[in-house]
Amino acid sequence: MWPHVVEAMLGCWLILSPFIFAHPAERPAWWINDMASGSAIIAFALVSYWPPLKRMHLASIAVALWLIGFGYFSESFSSPAMQNDMVLGLLIGMLAIIPSEANRPPDSWREFRGGKS
Amino acid sequence: MHDPAPHNDPLAVNPPPWDYNPSGWRQRVPICLLAMVAFVIAAYMALYQWRLIGSVWDPVFGSQSRDVLDSDVSETMRHWMGIPDAALGAFAYLGDAVFGLAGSTRRWQYRPWIVILFGLDVIPLGIVSAVLVFMQGAVVGAWCFPCLVTAVISLVLVYWAYDEVWSCLRYLYVVWQRTHSYRILWKTIWGQATPEADAAAKAFLEMRRS
Repeated sequence: MWPHVVEAMLGCWLILSPFIFAHPAERPAWWINDMASGSAIIAFALVSYWPPLKRMHLASIAVALWLIGFGYFSESFSSPAMQNDMVLGLLIGMLAIIPSEANRPPDSWREFRGGKS
Repeated sequence: MHDPAPHNDPLAVNPPPWDYNPSGWRQRVPICLLAMVAFVIAAYMALYQWRLIGSVWDPVFGSQSRDVLDSDVSETMRHWMGIPDAALGAFAYLGDAVFGLAGSTRRWQYRPWIVILFGLDVIPLGIVSAVLVFMQGAVVGAWCFPCLVTAVISLVLVYWAYDEVWSCLRYLYVVWQRTHSYRILWKTIWGQATPEADAAAKAFLEMRRS
């Protein structure tokens, strides 16, 4: 479950990013992008703790790809704000791949072994 | 090094050809720690390339480090990839640690995809980046001590990590040999239990004795 904790923390960083990187007021897309992506990542990460939705963290991979693309294809991709989006996208994408309960065998094998582990 | 499976971990077994468990924490945690050392060094160089810090500490080559980190090669890569090459390197080392920590002490059998992802991050990526760093002197005409340290760490990580990847691939090969079924191989890679894969794992673990 540790990757989801880190994902939620990175989501907080994204929500704070418009203030940390002083997004200009005439760039509302930057504000909306960082805050909406951060909120979605926190939601997906925390919801994954509920067993019926334990794969919800995979949705963060889509958000991560979006963040990378948003920074990469921005005309000011070398600005700190866009560099932040790309790096956060890479980090969140990497963590979102990790399954919930990653340090136990997958459910399928646990059932197969009949609860022996 | 003989590393008997601890009694309190029913998952731990020693997959051939090793007499220790390459998926055990004793094997994996050192890899993660060393990868984090390389992560810190690479992140430090990325901070310079972002100009969040003004210079790079290099006790051997002095200001040559800056020439390497500001070289045309580095600038071109930055333009293609969007972020500085050292940041991408730091990301790859962090990946070694994250994928090294994920999975049970029997992940070579139960989650081969994590071992394969970990192996791809550590082995081909590690070797290619180390070779690129060692070519620096020839291409850029300057040397960068922190870069060389990370390259050496990459190669140590390859040496430490290949045993688990090797066992995992050999196990998958046994599954393929016994079933010749793409479907079962696919399920096995993604951690779906099948009686065939379970039998293959038992046969694989027996191979040591023959």
